Amino acid sequence: MDGFESRRPQRIPQRRPWSITQQQTARGPGDDPRIGVFICHCGHNIAGYLDVAALVASARSLPFVVLAQDSLFTCSDAGLNQIRTAIAEHGLNRVVVASCTPRTHEPLFQSACDEAGLNRYLFEFVNIRDQCSWVHMEDGERATRKARDLIRMGVARAALLQPLTETELAIQPAAAVIGGGMAGMTAAGSLARRGFSVTLIEREPALGGSVRHLDTLYPNRTSARKLVEAQVAAVRAEPQIEVLTSAEVTAVRGSIGHFELEVESRQYRMKLPVQAGVVVVATGAEEWKPAGMYGYGHNPAVITQQELEERLSTGDLPPDLRSVVMIQCVGARDAHHPYCGRTCCLVAMKNAMILKEGNPACQVHVLYRDIEVYGTHFEDYYAQARELGVVFTRYTPDRPPEVVGDQGRAGDKQTPVPPGRVLVYDELLGATLAIPYDLLVLSTPMVPRPGARELAQMLKVPVDEHGFFLEAHVKLRPLDFATDGIYLCGSAHWPAHLDEAIGQALGAAARAATVLSKEQIRSSGIVSRVEESLCRGCERCATACEYGAIEFVDVTRSVEFLHRPMARGLETVHVKVARVNPMLCKGCGACAVVCPTSAMVASHFTGEQVAAMIRAALQAPAAMGEDHGTL
Amino acid sequence: MEPFEPTILTFACNWCSYAGADLAGVSRIQYPPTTRVIRVMCSGRVSPVFILEALRHGADGVLVTGCHPGDCHYLSGNEKAVQNVEMARSLIQLLGIDPGRLRLEWISAAEGSRFAQLVTEFTDQIRELGANPLRNGHMGP
Amino acid sequence: MNYQMIIERTRAYLCLDCGKCTGSCPLARVDLDYSPRRIVERVVAGEAEAVMASPQLWSCMTCGMCSARCPSNVDFARFIIEMRAEAFGLGERGIYAHNGILQEIMRIQTLEVHQDRRGWLTDDMRVSEESDTLYFVGCLPFFDVVFADLDVEATEIARSAVRLLNRAGIVPHVSNDERCCGADLLLAGDVDSFRRLAELNVEAITRSGAKQVVFTCAECYNAFRTDYPEYVGALPFEVTHLTELLAGHMNSGDLAFEPVPGTVTYHDPCRMARYLKVHEPPRQLINAVPQAHFVEMEDNRERSMCCGSTAWVNCSGCSKLIQREKLAQARDTGSRLMLTTCPKCQIHLRCASRDLAPEEKVRVEDVTSWLGRAIQG
Repeated sequence: MDGFESRRPQRIPQRRPWSITQQQTARGPGDDPRIGVFICHCGHNIAGYLDVAALVASARSLPFVVLAQDSLFTCSDAGLNQIRTAIAEHGLNRVVVASCTPRTHEPLFQSACDEAGLNRYLFEFVNIRDQCSWVHMEDGERATRKARDLIRMGVARAALLQPLTETELAIQPAAAVIGGGMAGMTAAGSLARRGFSVTLIEREPALGGSVRHLDTLYPNRTSARKLVEAQVAAVRAEPQIEVLTSAEVTAVRGSIGHFELEVESRQYRMKLPVQAGVVVVATGAEEWKPAGMYGYGHNPAVITQQELEERLSTGDLPPDLRSVVMIQCVGARDAHHPYCGRTCCLVAMKNAMILKEGNPACQVHVLYRDIEVYGTHFEDYYAQARELGVVFTRYTPDRPPEVVGDQGRAGDKQTPVPPGRVLVYDELLGATLAIPYDLLVLSTPMVPRPGARELAQMLKVPVDEHGFFLEAHVKLRPLDFATDGIYLCGSAHWPAHLDEAIGQALGAAARAATVLSKEQIRSSGIVSRVEESLCRGCERCATACEYGAIEFVDVTRSVEFLHRPMARGLETVHVKVARVNPMLCKGCGACAVVCPTSAMVASHFTGEQVAAMIRAALQAPAAMGEDHGTL
Repeated sequence: MEPFEPTILTFACNWCSYAGADLAGVSRIQYPPTTRVIRVMCSGRVSPVFILEALRHGADGVLVTGCHPGDCHYLSGNEKAVQNVEMARSLIQLLGIDPGRLRLEWISAAEGSRFAQLVTEFTDQIRELGANPLRNGHMGP
Repeated sequence: MNYQMIIERTRAYLCLDCGKCTGSCPLARVDLDYSPRRIVERVVAGEAEAVMASPQLWSCMTCGMCSARCPSNVDFARFIIEMRAEAFGLGERGIYAHNGILQEIMRIQTLEVHQDRRGWLTDDMRVSEESDTLYFVGCLPFFDVVFADLDVEATEIARSAVRLLNRAGIVPHVSNDERCCGADLLLAGDVDSFRRLAELNVEAITRSGAKQVVFTCAECYNAFRTDYPEYVGALPFEVTHLTELLAGHMNSGDLAFEPVPGTVTYHDPCRMARYLKVHEPPRQLINAVPQAHFVEMEDNRERSMCCGSTAWVNCSGCSKLIQREKLAQARDTGSRLMLTTCPKCQIHLRCASRDLAPEEKVRVEDVTSWLGRAIQG
């Protein structure tokens, strides 16, 4: 058996000392906000259109503002020095810069704050250039009024800003690859060659996945067996790869940088811990068995394409087959599976050609709905099949083929009985053809492996409506999950041709390597946080989170006897509360919107901060006792 | 008397729409100075409360902007924005506030001209509707 | 500050430190740091500022259980409400549930609005602007929008109310001019907004010519009966809860119900249980429905336990524990259907039941909606 030579007993994965460290919080707010406002001329870009002196005057009159200054270029060394000096001299605990746009310059000003000992999240940017002076060049007076409002909004928000911490996390430089088929083996090999240790986890006793069941591969008739054997040998030879066969993932804890998988090994009859910084999902797919369709299951002359492959590779077919009929799209593009199986047209053509080449007298009919042979060489493949005499007949889903008569002979070589027939309505002829068959081969789509949904739940990643794993973005992030540190490849994602699966596996390995090659990763400070006492454990936030960043933990609370009003004494109850993983949270704030109790706080964009901006935007300046300057 | 000058509060997502608004500036596309932008990380962060709060405090129009469908930096934040804005729209309709005062639009980082055009259009639309009647008798916190 | 006035008005100075309040407080059972007695003691001892700055000030559900048990008759709920009003003036706020959307809806109604809030009326209902009876709908149309995810069926209460009134021979006026009753703002310290809403409501109802106002919401009803006279003067119209009105009609024999088989129990909302002491009319109606088997919960009438959350502030894990307990009491009756007369109790308890295992779930429904089924056959 494959897994016996595993080095498992010798090599227990070393727990690399990783830790979550919090960046030292720089100076936070004191009792009262002390806000400094720095207004940039940006040369002529702002000052040429807005009345900067008036803006300085009005900023100075705003609540909590202890300093308002202008400078020619706030982003220059002199301008940055002005900020650093003012923080020290005026004891500023919030800094507002009104200038270009946070998209280009926020990190620069934040660093200046950092350098002066002020937490970078106590900085607020007001955009008075890209969204003000440059777009209202004809109307300096109204543009200045708008800039004054924007600064008032920024100051109002700044007063409510809180220092935030960024979390650092060391990366465990190891990968767990789930699924030991061609995709999984390829990904594991690629990561191992980059120097990362890999645990390859396969449910079956042998590596190889679905390709193990095939005879030859289209379009060039590579032997599936030889290909798998070569790949398995390469994986076995790689010292960085630990192979666990007869092993299944039963639990997943942790997240990017420090996953811990619990793997149940039937071989060692124990649960093994596997630690990894990243996880690659390569669990593949399997052929759907069309029980009850066209006699499949009780008529031995009716088999699937994969079963035909197996017989082709073992030579277990009668030599004198006279007629083979293949039906395409069985259980595909219909109510069973609304999607296209993608590989089945080519598999049918390849097998039809093999039959035809082995015995030119054998009639091969392929009954299809549509032929999918896109690209540069597949179309050619189709032409070759027709050249060899394979007959393609189109049917429509409203009049699917029908099987009549007795069974064919393939299943029972001893008893010659009249062969059965497949009736198919040919639209072009306007007639129903009756095609006798010795063997009826059904092309069915690949479907997700059993347990795929459960694995998805363990990993907290989504599956699509068919049960295939769902990538983060179909075009922009096709090999990633939305959850950081988890990647996917091969037919786990969607029925893939082998070349696609291998391409994806190499890609997923490259994506995983972008994480593993770092010593540590750092979260943003802009992550949600939970006010635990308010949390009701309703999980609305977790439903809204695309990143699996929120988990629920059991906590205990002491309460007085609840269900006996007159009883006295304490008992312990278990309640669920939300926890945010700062390494996974992206700070979008969707969780805070759906939280019924305000337990979930969208840091840096809290309800109070946004509300303060709304009020400031709409407050008549007079109501704030604000100096209008020349306005 | 000065012509009615609307105040429009715009919520812009950090990744697409705010960048689109910046691009309008970089391209020097001119539009009326009627809007005040509040940057949020994602259009899905715009709670219906923000919209109601803006209207209660006298905003004549509220414009919520985000990444185009399928392009959300946070995958589905803009779909959540649709739900949230729809909830706000249902509420303001019950309250008798013209739903024309609330708009949800998709603006990509490359659509500076679209941002400018939308602000111009929406400003005209709000001028037609007139000042937000909630400005009358305003009180409370 | 007027703490002394608050102490006097609520008779807090009579506190004997006996602790019956804390012993009977549903919140104190699940939040061991919370103690009505200590809150009163601190204010009486001159530490009002500390109480006002404490988040605990906003946790009280004002359910009134403590006052009902207090041997000195200290009105603790009112004590809390008045302290909140003071704190509100200083800029303190409770932690708004649902991000404060309900407070926004309420406060917008203090302004110049011309609502369009009668979309739930259907053709089979008879209403009239000339009617002597006005049905005060309250926040129900808003609840359907805000709590769509809980499927709260709030306007089903309103539809059933009108159908029941019609069946009793009453064609009510349903007005677009009604505003939120404001009770939740008063309870959350915002007295000015509450007073404004009360004035607008009294003015609109008076203008409509209605002589009687019917409520389905226990909170609206209590606001009109208890708080409005105090804040905006005696009302020039009668107020009654729909269950009281219908119970009267039943006694006179002009209202009968179709069978609704099944076991039901009834949760007395705090306002009905302890504030207004309206206990029997809902029970009379439930018992008048053929084949309905009514079972009391262990705590009923004046002993009824709160639904766990009030005024849309400081809902929390503790609220949920209280709600879990309430639902457990309902299950103990053998019923999986708990009726009530407060749409907010219905929302809060449905929210809690949503998170329970299927076998623990209890359906919570307004008596009005349930009776609505009993006249549709």
